[in-house]
Amino acid sequence: MRRSFGTAVAALALSLAVSLSGCAADSRGVDSTDVDPAGSVAPREISWLLSRPADGAVIRTMRELGDEYAKAHPGFKLRFITTPDRPSYIQKYETLAAAGKLPELFDTDATPFARKLARHGRMMDVSKLLHSLGLYDRYRPAALDYQRFDDGSLYMVPFEYQAEYFWYNKALFRKAGVHVPASLDDFPAMCRALRRAGVTPIALDGQDQWPLERYAAYQPFRTAGPDYVRQLKQNRARFSDPSGRKSANWLSALGKAGCFQKGFSSVGYADAQNLFTTGKAAVYNIGTWELPSLATTALDPAVRDDVDFFTLPVTEGSATAANEFVTPSGIGMAVNSRTYDPLVRDFLKFALTRYPAKYAAAGELSPTSDVKTVLPKNATPLYARAVATAGKVGKETAVPWDTQLDPTSNAKFQQNLVLLVQGDVPPSSFVSTMDSVIGRNAPRYAK
Amino acid sequence: MLPSRSKLSVAVFLLPPLLLYGAAVLLPIAQSLFLSFFTWDGISELRFAGLSNYAFMFTEGDFWTAVTNQLGYLVVCLVLQLGGGLVVASLLISLTRGRELVKVLYLLPAVISTVAIALLFQRIYSMDPAGPLNQFLGLVGLDGLERPWLSDVHTVLTAVSAPEGWRFVGLYTVIIYAALLTVPRELEEAARLDGANQWQVFTRIRFPYIRPVWLTTSIMAVTYAMRGFDIPYLLTNGGPGQSSELVTTYMYKTAFLSTDYGYASAMSVFIVVESLVAVGLIVLVLRRKAV
Repeated sequence: MRRSFGTAVAALALSLAVSLSGCAADSRGVDSTDVDPAGSVAPREISWLLSRPADGAVIRTMRELGDEYAKAHPGFKLRFITTPDRPSYIQKYETLAAAGKLPELFDTDATPFARKLARHGRMMDVSKLLHSLGLYDRYRPAALDYQRFDDGSLYMVPFEYQAEYFWYNKALFRKAGVHVPASLDDFPAMCRALRRAGVTPIALDGQDQWPLERYAAYQPFRTAGPDYVRQLKQNRARFSDPSGRKSANWLSALGKAGCFQKGFSSVGYADAQNLFTTGKAAVYNIGTWELPSLATTALDPAVRDDVDFFTLPVTEGSATAANEFVTPSGIGMAVNSRTYDPLVRDFLKFALTRYPAKYAAAGELSPTSDVKTVLPKNATPLYARAVATAGKVGKETAVPWDTQLDPTSNAKFQQNLVLLVQGDVPPSSFVSTMDSVIGRNAPRYAK
Repeated sequence: MLPSRSKLSVAVFLLPPLLLYGAAVLLPIAQSLFLSFFTWDGISELRFAGLSNYAFMFTEGDFWTAVTNQLGYLVVCLVLQLGGGLVVASLLISLTRGRELVKVLYLLPAVISTVAIALLFQRIYSMDPAGPLNQFLGLVGLDGLERPWLSDVHTVLTAVSAPEGWRFVGLYTVIIYAALLTVPRELEEAARLDGANQWQVFTRIRFPYIRPVWLTTSIMAVTYAMRGFDIPYLLTNGGPGQSSELVTTYMYKTAFLSTDYGYASAMSVFIVVESLVAVGLIVLVLRRKAV
């Protein structure tokens, strides 16, 4: 207790100390558009501050590429500093950004904070960089679009491509006598039927907060399209608008229908997944990054043949198509303009050119469209179907709201969502609270 | 009086720790105080904000919710740590065998890492699947009381405070036990011969004797509880809603997630002032009673 709080105060003080010593050392490094700076390649150690699983395919692939590059460039080393836990990572990354100590490469979503960094010229223009390296056209448009800021500018390189599905247990659906919901509005009835059959309808990792926030984004994405959240985060749309109200009412209905497991707000990622993979919960909303757990022989044989998936259902008069849903390209990698030099450019050229083929060979979906995913030997037929479905998505993407709202509004949104779904606050109160929170914080953050 | 050379020696030995203390404790407090008068997001230039961070703090509902929660957290911690510590220490005094073992068992939680404690209590409070607490309630026929302790807005604050209180019961037990050992036995025996009961012996003899130690432990427990942070943060992150949000967790989120360093600094100044006021009150109350 003491140490953690002390660390927080010390970090706060450190941030201040840096600020007092001249917080804006914006004059160092290169201009964010100078993607091909003059000079020779001088090998040295470069670092990548990232928020990805240490044993994941992205790090494994990039580590191999770093080693290959080091063989040809003695003295070069790519150091990975990973913090997979996202909230902890964000805290670390924002504190280092405030201290002007970000390394050569660092992970970030297209958040309002990252937008500020880009505005201050602290990140390289990735659109220009990829064009200059001759790689831009290899990327899936959806993978690049996910990384863009609202004005269309691109400052992050995608390293993955994912599609989020509703995985469900066919046997439990049969037991409850329910079918795959044709509309989002069918969810409450589906949950009630599953509850009556003694089944937990939906497994939810409430502790990490973003999974529940996905549900909040679904109704507005269907009724108004992806533009709603872009307007909302700038306080140009309101929660009291029809899309916001519909979302609040739907979430409240999900809670009343007992859709999520009891005490979901304190259930973590592994426990939620466990509920589904052990056949205790009927539905689990997660992305293709979990394919190795859900669509290979690693899955418990007792449920393996019963697992299937469906995509985000539409609604009546839906503004977006059935093949448009959450298809993120994961957290992106930004290139620090203060430390950018010919070496960083040369390494990125080397790595990004070879990365897609190596990554796809590991059974992953590449952010580029020029390579095919190699199915693992232990894949079930579901694996190939999930990969194929991800390749047939429409133009619009349901962007995760946690990457869109300003951090303060997002934190309050996540807190109040839990209360709404638990039935502790009515939808009307939730709507008015969120309108006032966003009304106060969005303009402040836009400055 | 120390000779001048000895004074110099004392100064030489005292100065480094004093400087270290100043750099590690006083400087951050001064810096936080300074920053609380500014608006700063970590990227843009500092903007002087006068007292606006404080004005906002004193009118913000979420901040006062956090203050109220912190007081609730404080009460639970004090009851468990000081109340529990006093009871266990008093019982230990009457034990004739196995004292050391009991002391070690009570002290054990104080050396377990915070993260392990958080994980342990997450399991204990779990509802789906049922954790030990809910299983026990079901076994003894109190299944009506079964609930997701960490998700219920009515129980979560107590649920996150209890592990913190439990963790340090042993520490305060040992301190109070050591103080109780200094109470002269002959005085207690004389009182008993005069007809004093256990309660009278405790209130008239034992407690007055241990009052200085009680003052110290009270200050320790209160200031630590006011800075309580990690277990609530790890168990619920302040949720559900703001039901277990403490001033410390709120300050942390404001600084490191919302990157509103100015406002977070105002809150940290509040915590410092709040702790100083609490210590002042404890000293005042206990000294008055001693007179």
